[in-house]
Order: sequence, then structure tokens, then C-alpha cells
Amino acid sequence: MPQGDYIELHRKRHGYRLDHFERKRKKEAREVHKRSAYAQKALGIKGKMFAKKRYAEKALMKKTLAMHDESSTRRKVDDKVHDGALPAYLLDRDTTTRAKVLSNTIKQKRKEKAGKWDVPLPKVRPVAEDEMFKVIRSGKRKTKQWKRMVTKVTFVGPGFTRKPPKYERFIRPTGLRFTKAHVTHPELKCTFNLDIIGIKKNPNGPMYTSLGVVTKGTIIEVNVSELGLVTPAGKVVWGKYAQVTNNPENDGCINAVLLV
Amino acid sequence: MVQYNFKKITVVPSGKDFIDIILSRTQRQTPTVVHKGYAISRLRKFYMRKVKFTQQNFHEKLTAIIDEFPRLDDIHPFYGDLLHVLYNKDHYKLALGQINTARNIIGKIAKDYVKLLKYGDSLYRCKCLKVAALGRMCTVIKRIGPSLAYLEQIRQHMARLPSIDPNTRTILICGYPNVGKSSFINKITRADVDVQPYAFTTKSLFVGHTDYKYLRYQVIDTPGILDRPFEDRNIIEMCSITALAHIRAAVLFFLDISGSCGYSIAQQAALFHSIKALFMNKPLIIVCNKIDLQPLEGLSDDDIKLVMEMKAEASQTVIAQGDEPNDESVFLTMSALTDDGVIAVKNAACERLLNQRVEMKMKSKKINDCLNRFHVAIPKPRDTRERPPCIPQAVLEARAKANVEKEKRKLEKDLENENGGAGVYSANLRKHYILANDEWKEDIMPEILDGHNVYDFVDPDILQRLEELEGEEEGFQLEAEAEEKYFEIDGKELTPEELEALAEIRKKKSLLIQEHRMKKSTAESRPVLPRKFDKDRKFTSERMGRQLSALGLDPTAATNRARCRSVSRRGQKRERSLAREGEDGDAMDIDGEQSSKKLRTRSRSRSKSRSKSQPPGEVTPGEGFRNSSQKLKALKIAKKSVKIRNKTARRGEADRVIPNLKPKHLFSGKRSIGKTSRR
Repeated sequence: MPQGDYIELHRKRHGYRLDHFERKRKKEAREVHKRSAYAQKALGIKGKMFAKKRYAEKALMKKTLAMHDESSTRRKVDDKVHDGALPAYLLDRDTTTRAKVLSNTIKQKRKEKAGKWDVPLPKVRPVAEDEMFKVIRSGKRKTKQWKRMVTKVTFVGPGFTRKPPKYERFIRPTGLRFTKAHVTHPELKCTFNLDIIGIKKNPNGPMYTSLGVVTKGTIIEVNVSELGLVTPAGKVVWGKYAQVTNNPENDGCINAVLLV
Repeated sequence: MVQYNFKKITVVPSGKDFIDIILSRTQRQTPTVVHKGYAISRLRKFYMRKVKFTQQNFHEKLTAIIDEFPRLDDIHPFYGDLLHVLYNKDHYKLALGQINTARNIIGKIAKDYVKLLKYGDSLYRCKCLKVAALGRMCTVIKRIGPSLAYLEQIRQHMARLPSIDPNTRTILICGYPNVGKSSFINKITRADVDVQPYAFTTKSLFVGHTDYKYLRYQVIDTPGILDRPFEDRNIIEMCSITALAHIRAAVLFFLDISGSCGYSIAQQAALFHSIKALFMNKPLIIVCNKIDLQPLEGLSDDDIKLVMEMKAEASQTVIAQGDEPNDESVFLTMSALTDDGVIAVKNAACERLLNQRVEMKMKSKKINDCLNRFHVAIPKPRDTRERPPCIPQAVLEARAKANVEKEKRKLEKDLENENGGAGVYSANLRKHYILANDEWKEDIMPEILDGHNVYDFVDPDILQRLEELEGEEEGFQLEAEAEEKYFEIDGKELTPEELEALAEIRKKKSLLIQEHRMKKSTAESRPVLPRKFDKDRKFTSERMGRQLSALGLDPTAATNRARCRSVSRRGQKRERSLAREGEDGDAMDIDGEQSSKKLRTRSRSRSKSRSKSQPPGEVTPGEGFRNSSQKLKALKIAKKSVKIRNKTARRGEADRVIPNLKPKHLFSGKRSIGKTSRR
């Protein structure tokens, strides 16, 4: 044993104290009571954190206990129903199912016409104009109020040059411009940091789409060449749509879900 | 020389603990209260401060970790290699690199979010941004959790490494496992290394210290090395190889010539030849151990040949150094069990190492700085006569006799060693007794006999001697009394006046003695001042006059003389009354008159204003003031400080006061929720 391990060396030469094991056992037994006393007395943030930890432990303990109990009980085995196998009283219902299929296709065609797509967030909270824009006063006496500054996150393309400051009505501050988004693949359940190519549609209105404002529910187009997706024809897919799922101005990042 | 001390590295917390520490610190040390009615700039500042504070704390702690762990390239190559052998260098660097990256990432996160916070227009938005920032920083730390755990383990192990100074005088012990290296180091140092019969008992480097010629030597015990190709060596053997490679030390290669370690001499010789490259430029000594089991002469011819080969190799290193090969300093035998030759080995190793180091120092450039300062002065011989030291003949003879005696005399210690050692033999203290009959030496002495103590009768003449003693004492007493009476009876009787005077003198003497005793008892608390610095004005000329007249002498001449030479007169010119009667002109008369007038007026006015108390600025030496102006200033400050209090009749120094109504030690420690049950 190394020269510095004094405790082990002493133990090896002289053994343990005569009451060592008893004391150890008793101390461990007392730990339970100490923890409980602390849990009852701790206040404030410390108390909350400790309670959370303790609850997690309790849940885990319950699960393991349930698991142990499982093996000792006996359960009835369900008769598995094969896909496609119909119970007797439904044997004559083919027509209805076919009709359902038909009506589904009709519904889809209608949606296509209307321009509504199947997206993860079909409805979003509408954003009012005064929430979106901040009025900037300009002019010699600061009486003119025609300029607006966008308070939400925006995306401007790489070739973007702003209008001369005297004439630009909408100011998109540099600090709120983002180029990348955290895109989650819904099936693979993993997140990638992908470049944004452009804004496809902002649900609050076409003006916002043209401005490039990114709010919750916006459809953006992202560069998926990283993922290595290939079309059945053999062409490499490099752009796909994704829908923004968070409020980027509150979180400082754009989180989106890929629309497969 | 820097003694590498890895014990000073701060503890590396685990990932979760790290996050908890920093976040709770942020919560405690930044303002916590904010309302949504505050000005927006205030809200922004509040949250920006939290983000920045957290980032700074993370930065500080991570920087501390990175700085305190040693850089393997910056430390002595011995330690660099040892740490590489024990904890893989690449893993180590990677872990530290990850910590560094984490630190940079956290910095970037903070910067970005502080920029975003500038656009926050509501409390909710700022708060969300702050939560996002802190959350991202904590995620970074969670990701480097395994690195932190690894570094903590390394730190714990490093702190336990033996503190080896790679630059000082070192003796390295190497050889096959089980040859007796650890026993040897146990003998010469206080290192308590485990000695067991199985191989690889020593699994790491052990350090001990020993002294030789008033210098401290480091002795390093290494784990045994087996004869294997370099790539196959395990970590334990690599430790010893590292030590051999990097430390400039005297190497003791241990051979077990009895073969009780399980390896033959041939195998050990093979090992020697395979690592002899590591022995270059190092004083090498071949030590044959366990000669109590197998003496050197009893070896077979082949073995002796192998051993001689090794000796030749070792001698070659000596030749390389430039010294002449001395058999005794290259090849030694010893037995660690019986202590036979252990000291000789140690001395030989230390000596050779010392010589080598001294030589190296002489050759190096640094010595020139010192050499200039040394100079041994030898007096120039003025003639060719020889002048050897002069030792008197008697001393020479005594010395020779003492030597002979020392050689002839058998010491108790030798007796002890012969008869079994310290615990077995107990010396016979009675053999030097001087008795009338030598046979009585071993007899048991009784203590009580016939109801009397034996010791009272040890001396046969004891009763007679007692009587003599008592007679002497009486004689002394009588004499003393006689002397007293003699003193009084001699001559005439004292007259009553003389008796009175005698009684007076005795009383005064006893008073003086009492006073002196009182002074002595309080001497520790009183400063002792000489008589001329006399605050209480006890020693005045009047008192002297009174005492003198009490004795019956005329005090006037003495008091006049004392007054003339008094302190208040110092610096004043001598009175001109005498000079006036000289033959100098009128001018001098006027001056003289004036001066005497001045003197008189001065003394008079002085006497009026001067009360019995001291002049305000006069400094007595025991008080601690530099000069009188400092004392006056101090008095002024003191008076000023009590002026207002006195004027307003407030609580004064003599009034009872409780300085601290709520002393901290009585009011701290009690928690309101009842955690602590004592103050």
C-alpha cells in the first residue's frame, strides 16, 4: 500500500477499534432520523430542492418495489387480437370503413386547397401589433412616430442590406437576429443545430412573413444536409420545413420541430 | 529547490455539487427582490447582474481548477513521467482541456444573453432570458461531470504521493522483488515499509531520510523489477523505471545470493544487464544481501562469475567518473536480518554520491561565484624550521593509556549483545558492590529485623555518632550564646542614652527593612526610577537637612551645596555677586546687577506661581513620552475629550457602564426555527 495511506496502514497493523462496527451500524441507523429532521426543518429554496430530491427517491423506490412484487404475482394472459381480424359483430361493416377512407382523402384535398397543413402546432396565440413593434420617435422634435422597431426575433438572409436609415420604417436590431435553429427530428428524437434558409410562413400575417419575424408557430426552412436524407429518386435533400415551438425572444434560441 | 507538494490543490466538486454551489451563491449574493413596476432599465440591470455574476463564479472556479493542477510539461520530468505512468497523460490533458472549453463556452453564453437582455421589455421576458442563460451554463457543467469526477480522483491520489525532491541527494534502491530492499530501507531510515514474504509487497515508491556527515539523504525504495521487455512492463514496474531514469541518484542494485527470493542469480544478472543503460552517470554499488543464509564464498563458480561481471560493470562507472576503482565502494555484502554490513553499505553509497555531487559542482559555472569567497590562509613560512603542534608528554601518555584501556575494557553493551540483546539480558548491577566478603554480593538484604529497621543500624557506630553530633550541636549553641553575651558584657555597660540610641537604631533598621520588603513585593508593578527622577518629591533638601539635624550634625553647608547644584538652577549662569568685586569696569557692574536682579525676580515669580504640584509639561522617564511637547499635546487631547461630557454632566469614566448591550457571542447561533438549542 502506498506510503501515504496512513489510515489503511494503521488498520492493517492494529485492526479496527473494538467498537468500530457497532458505532458504524448505529450511525447509519441514525442517518434516517437525521434526514427526516432536516427535511422537516429546512425552509426556503433549500427545503424545496431537498423535497424534490426526496420525492424522486421515493418514486424510484416505489417503482423498484412494484417491480419486485410483479414477479411474485401471476397474471392472466390476454388473447392477442391479430390486425385485420374483426370481431363477429363487425363482420359486415366493410362499407363504413371504405367510406371513412374516402372521406379522409376528400378532407385532405380540401385542406390542400385551403392551404392548411398538418403541423405540430396548428393554433398559436395571436401576437398583437403593439406587442410586436415598438414605436420609435424620430424627427427634430421627436414628434414623428412612423418608425417601428421589431421586438421579436427576426431572420434576415445572408445578402441582406438595410434601407438607408432615414427611410427604413421597420428596424430589425442586430442583437435579435438569429441564423441557426435547434431542430428536433420527431421520430429520431434527436436535436440538431441547423442553419435557417428562410421564413416560409408566419401565422400572424403576411407582413410578418415578409419582415422575417420568427414567433411561435412560424414555419421556417432549414438546411438539413447534415442529416443526409435522400429522396427515393436518389437526390439529396438539403432543405426541409420545420415549425418553431418556443418563444425565441424569451429563450434566446429558436427551437423547432422538423416537418417530415 | 521546490518540493513538489500536490496537497495544495483545492477539492474538485462533482458536477451536481458544482452547480448547486454556484447557483446558491448567486441566489445569496445578488439582490433578490424585483417588481414588475420598476423602470425597465432597473429590471434589465437586475437580471443582467445575475447572469454576469454566475458566469464570473463559474469562471473563477474553473480557472482555479485549471491552474492548480500541474502541467505535466512544466514540472520536473520525473514527476511528469510518474504522473504519466499513474494516470494516463492523454486522459489527464483531455480532462483539463474539457474544463477549459467549458469555461469558454460559459463565457460566450453569458455574453450572448446579456446582449439579448438589453432588448428585454418586460419583467417576464427578462426573467425567462435569465433562466435560459443559467440553465445553459449548468448544462455545460453537467456535461463535463465525468471529467470533474476523474480529476477529483486524480487529485486525491496525487495528494498521497510521497514527497520526493528530485534534485537533492538521493539513494535509489532497485533489484528483483523480494531481495530485501524494503528491509534495508527500514534499517537505515524511519520509513516503515511493509516487508512480507510474497513478491511485489512494495507497490509504489517509498521515501525515507537518513543522515551522513551532517547532510540529509533521501532514500527511495522502488518496487521490484522483473526482467521483461520494456513494453510489457506494468504500472508498478514503470514507477521504478521512471525513478531510475530521471533522478540523479546513487543506485544500489540488490542481489539476493541465497536465492530465497525465488529467482536465481542468473536471472538477476540478466536484469542487471538489461537495465544497465539506466545506470549511466550514476554511482552504482552492487550489494549482495542475505549473506546470513548463503555466504559469498559458498557460491558456485558460475554464480561467482556472473557476480564478478556485474562488479566489473560497476567499476567501469567509477573509472568513468575519474576516481580510482576501490573494491569496497563498488561491491559490498550485507545482511539486513543480522544488521551485518548495513551501515557500511549506506556509508559507501553516501560517500560516493557526495563525491560525485561535489565534483559536478566544482565543474559547473556556479561554483566560480562561491570559490572567490573561499580563501584558506596559510601563513608564509619565514624560515625552514618545522613547527609541529606541541603536546605535553603527560597528555600523550594518558592518551595512549586510555586507548589501551578502552580496547581492553569490555563494555556492558557488548555483554548485553552477547547474551541475547536488549530485551533478554538484564545487567547485574550488584557485581560492582564493595563488601567485606565478596560472597555477600548476591545476598538478599532484609529490610525489617526483630521489629527494627535495618537501615537504622547499617552503620555499627551509628549510636555513638549520633551522640557526638548532638554534643557538637549543643556546643555550637553555647558558643553562640556566649558570643552574644560576650558582645554585651565586654567593656562597660551601656549608658541609658546609649541604650536609647541603640533602641532607636534598631527600630530604624527594622523600619527600613520593612519598607524594603514592601518595595520588593510591589517591585513588579512599579517602575524603578533612580532617585533624581523623583515624582513624589520625597528627596528634598529640607528632608536631608532634617535628617542630618536629627543625627546631630549641622545641615546648612550640605543644603547650600545641594541647592547650588539643583536641577532648577541648571543652565543659569553663576551669580555675579562674586565677579562684581573684581576689577572689571562699570559696564560689567550693570550687567552683573541686572543679571542678579533678573535671577531674583525670576526665582521669586517662579516661586509664587509654582505650587507644590509638578509643572505641566515636565516629563518623567517612566511615563512614555518622548518630550514635553508630546506630553502637553496628549494632555490637551485628554482634556478635550472629556470637556463635553463634563459640561453636559453625562455618564463619566467612574460611572458603571455596560459597553455592549448585545454582545455577539450571546445572541448569535440561535436559529428561529429551533435548529440550535443553545446560544
